[in-house]
Amino acid sequence: MTPLHSQAGHSSLLQLARRGDIQAFESLVRQHQASVFSVGYRMLGRRDVAEDLAQEVFLQLYRRLDSIESMEHLGFWLRRVVANLAIDWLRRPAHSATQPIDDELAMVAPESDCDPLMSRALSRLLGELAPAARAVMVLRYQEDLDVADIATALDMPVNTVKSHIKRSLTALRGKMIGAQLIEELP
Amino acid sequence: MIKRIVCMAALLLSSPGWTQAPPLAKGQLRLPEFAALTDKASESVTVTLDPQLLGLACRFLNSEDPEQAAARQLCTSLTGIYVRSYSFDSDYAYPKADIDAVRRQLSAPGWSRLVEARSRKEQTDVDVYVLIDGGKARSLAIIASEPREFAIVNVVGNIDLEQLHALEGKFGVPQLEIETGKKSGVEKSPAPKK
Amino acid sequence: MSQDIENELRRALRPVDAPADFTARVMRALPPRPASAEVVMLDVVRSRAQPSWWSRFSTPAALAASLLVAIMAGRHVALEHEERQQLAGLEASRKLMQALRVTSQKLDLVYEAMQRPPPVTPPAEENRS
Repeated sequence: MTPLHSQAGHSSLLQLARRGDIQAFESLVRQHQASVFSVGYRMLGRRDVAEDLAQEVFLQLYRRLDSIESMEHLGFWLRRVVANLAIDWLRRPAHSATQPIDDELAMVAPESDCDPLMSRALSRLLGELAPAARAVMVLRYQEDLDVADIATALDMPVNTVKSHIKRSLTALRGKMIGAQLIEELP
Repeated sequence: MIKRIVCMAALLLSSPGWTQAPPLAKGQLRLPEFAALTDKASESVTVTLDPQLLGLACRFLNSEDPEQAAARQLCTSLTGIYVRSYSFDSDYAYPKADIDAVRRQLSAPGWSRLVEARSRKEQTDVDVYVLIDGGKARSLAIIASEPREFAIVNVVGNIDLEQLHALEGKFGVPQLEIETGKKSGVEKSPAPKK
Repeated sequence: MSQDIENELRRALRPVDAPADFTARVMRALPPRPASAEVVMLDVVRSRAQPSWWSRFSTPAALAASLLVAIMAGRHVALEHEERQQLAGLEASRKLMQALRVTSQKLDLVYEAMQRPPPVTPPAEENRS
């Protein structure tokens, strides 16, 4: 990255990229690749497919830079596109069965305050949710979007988002109890 | 001659047939449009799919999407779906009288209340009705109200309760323990009124 | 307990790093920039006298062009109508899915109410003689 780009404000990067500055676009990719790749990976459970998906997202961004109004809009736009592309991919007949999560994903090194067994189990169980519900959960608990933003990103009514969160938490909790990872409260 | 034509036209136009609301199908409820609520509501869903529109909608469902494929199967036996659903930012911002007017339609012959669910804690009231005709469910009505939202759902057609039951997992329709073939509805009220 | 599950989910769903060469891969896949447009000045030679072939073929050429325009216009109208029908159908199917989801959500309320145990009523006190 050239000193010019390392010093440029984020909004300047966007402006430069819109004017055709390829290095500015590269900087934008670097800034957002982890988030985009992660959403794809959590949705699809496969590293190779998540890479292809994330690449497609950035190619779409390249074609639609003119429509991005701000850095905040960029972040939202990227999450919206990757989540919807992932849902479309999962809904194709060949991929409609629940996807087994890569063992590698399930074994991402946990932080010190994290129960590795719990994290691994939750990652796997997330892969058993239907595509739309899975997208809601990833955007909520990985990307920390609020309900209204998730509803806009996935073109869903707010109540549907709330419903997905409620049912998914209930389902996950039930399966965790069944696997004796948590205790059932009386 | 022209005068005669104009008079006849006026007669025809003034006759009751031209000014009445269109007749409702059996099992179809007369639902208010709630036009004034659309601006007040934080979220609203208004769906009016008569037989023609429902047929059109079914043709455009994506059979490769499991959810839409299930919807397509369900819709082959339906003739109309009507929904009025509103959410608000403050309590009871909706006209209870209009909802009561819809409830009154459900006391007409043929309608049976299948489920009555009340939650004192969440202040939720949900009533599920079916119209039984010739031993079969011909229409379903749901009236649900909470302090900040209400919904009226009317599904018209040959309601296959087993098929509705079988949608569980696709739309998350719960097991209602509905018994088909019953002549009258069964009221299940887990939170009895005091 | 729901809060615990939510916290565990946040911990489990930490972002995962993209592969080290991901950015380079994206940059390689970018389409080439279109070549800048070249403006070429055309020398238009105007002659005073029209060539004789122009006066011979101008009318049939104009007729043929009009016919072509009419056919294309008709096709355009038909395509527009088809497009409108498609938009109407897609909108109707979207409304249908919305309606079925609302139905499902309201039936959920019934399910939750039925899952809830009925409130325990305290036993009536016995009359003591």
